[in-house]
Amino acid sequence: MSTTVATGAVSTEKATKDGLLQRRATKLWQAVGPLVIFVIMFAVVAILTPTFIGGGGVTIVASSAAPILLVALGQAFVLNIGSIDLSNAAITVLGAILLAMTLGPLGAVAPLVVLIMVTLFGAVNGLIVAFAQVPSFALTLGTLGIFQAAALVVSGATTVYVDANLDLVAWLYTGAIAMLPMTFILGVVVAVVAWLFLRFTRPGQGMTAVGKNESGAIFSAVRNRGLKVVAYSLSGFMAGLAGITIIAQAGSASPMGLGSDLLLPGIAAAIVGGTSISGGVMNPLNVIFGALTVALVPIATTALGFDPSTQNLVYGVVIIVVVALTLTRSRSATVK
Amino acid sequence: MMTTTSSSGTAASVTIDTGEILTPNSSAKRRNIFAGIGEPVALIGALVVLIAIFSALNPRFATLTNLQNVLNQASLPIIIGVGATLVILIGSIDLSVEGVMAASGVAFVLMSANSRGGQDMGIAAFIVPVVLGTVLGALNGLIYTLLKVPSFIVTLGMWFIGFGIATILYGTDAYPELTDDNLTNWAAKINLGLPNVFWLAAALVVVSALVIRFTRFGRAALAIGNNEDIARANGMPVRKHKVTIFIIAGALSGVAGILATMQMGGTSNHIGEGYLFLTLPAVVIGGTSLAGGKGGVLRTFLGVILLTVLNNGLVLAGVSPNYQSALSGAILVVAIVAAAWSQRGRLRIAK
Repeated sequence: MSTTVATGAVSTEKATKDGLLQRRATKLWQAVGPLVIFVIMFAVVAILTPTFIGGGGVTIVASSAAPILLVALGQAFVLNIGSIDLSNAAITVLGAILLAMTLGPLGAVAPLVVLIMVTLFGAVNGLIVAFAQVPSFALTLGTLGIFQAAALVVSGATTVYVDANLDLVAWLYTGAIAMLPMTFILGVVVAVVAWLFLRFTRPGQGMTAVGKNESGAIFSAVRNRGLKVVAYSLSGFMAGLAGITIIAQAGSASPMGLGSDLLLPGIAAAIVGGTSISGGVMNPLNVIFGALTVALVPIATTALGFDPSTQNLVYGVVIIVVVALTLTRSRSATVK
Repeated sequence: MMTTTSSSGTAASVTIDTGEILTPNSSAKRRNIFAGIGEPVALIGALVVLIAIFSALNPRFATLTNLQNVLNQASLPIIIGVGATLVILIGSIDLSVEGVMAASGVAFVLMSANSRGGQDMGIAAFIVPVVLGTVLGALNGLIYTLLKVPSFIVTLGMWFIGFGIATILYGTDAYPELTDDNLTNWAAKINLGLPNVFWLAAALVVVSALVIRFTRFGRAALAIGNNEDIARANGMPVRKHKVTIFIIAGALSGVAGILATMQMGGTSNHIGEGYLFLTLPAVVIGGTSLAGGKGGVLRTFLGVILLTVLNNGLVLAGVSPNYQSALSGAILVVAIVAAAWSQRGRLRIAK
């Protein structure tokens, strides 16, 4: 009797030790995976095309990553609480159009007004998700249609040009620190603040708790509904920031123009950056590398001399491969 | 220890009145029958109201020609919707529809008699695109089940891959148009009062509704969506069924790519654009749960018809197309809020 118990205990101990090592390895990979993948891809491009770095490749990648990064950070907040926001790119476009229209008459107040409005748009999403308890995928699919129509109606379905005061925001695109445009620096600053918020504040930890196990969070007195509203508001706010970077870059906005195709790159960047689509796992610093990777793929395919027509194919393969590589799996979990 | 003695000893003392348990409660049974009908009735009611309003606004709305027109427009979303519903029933999602449609549409037009020249491959022009869709669907299913990558991401990637295949096949030559009028006119051609393509879509809906209702595969799909762990614990081949469903969805997207090309009379790699964000709301408005396990293709059929009638009626009523996405969006929001309202609870989890 006693012998059986002893061997049982030994084997369990060994199993836990193996499990611990494995868990540590997974944790390490989870922490640095997105960075490693970006660095490898970047190195391959830099080595194979020597003109890439000298020819301003870094600036190009960073400036095209900036709006993706901002949208992806907002998306990651929503994914982190176990929901999704399909409407955020539409909010970006609507925000950019509103900014283009108000920058002339309102001047420096305009970005502030627009940011407040887009945050409210996000909050409406959050309020409906939290209090009507509807599936976020379906709800934000609906509000996506509403924001798209609003953008069309407000702009009269044409391109809206900024008629005055463009220099109030244009410096974000033209200014640069160490080859990195200010739009990208803005994204990085937002990511760092988001990391501090998630890691060290009670609401930040509460959001992750809601994403990991919402029932458990409710029983631990986490204010899950309020936090959902906050997460969606942040998504709206960051979508608005992305809208500002678009105006800074283009000086105009249109419902079909720059920014209207940010939804899928934004989701891809959040996920490639290690955010779990089922909630509870998010590292804003890794989302930076997710956005850089997503922005690098089309530039890299061109730089490596692939035919431009292969770009989408490579893009799709990279998304699947990178996620398959960085995903944390558990044997028992149900994957949807 | 205590239980062992008592059960092996005087077990006769335990009496279970089986009659009490098994007696079917007639009122509960009636409620059960009507429980499943509530939502479709609401949908049909909404449809009737829409039709009444639009008929009053424009006399051209309630005509046979317009009915044929609506059904012609609704057919492709219905065909895609059948695949989408099956995938959503098992609790997954297929975002690759537009990419697969693009790949199969471009393959189809280049293999048929078209304005770019080239060889007319006859029947192979139909088979190859569908096989292409099937292969992409199988890849979706295999990557999803074997590598355990969430279906959202696999199919998002496959969207780009399908689109990429279409871009490569398309090349840089001029827009290829189908030169065979029999092909371009087939979909809208009226047969027994209704367009050909609608007969195809309706047959597909009937067959898939029967499959879901009466076959082991269909019931297993519902069981997987309801609770995958229990389905697996009961010995169902969960992985096999999941891959099969993604294959069906891919093949149907392939068929939709061909039909869309025939309707347009030609194709570019943008042929599938807009179909995904038309079909998914229709599936949800129909009442199929995104969490899986609840819903069906007949509901999706109603959802598609509702949205198509709405769009068609708005155009005939002279509403600017700019407002259209807002109205379908608002209807989607109202529909899901109405469906979820009665089930709200402090401890309920909605993702």
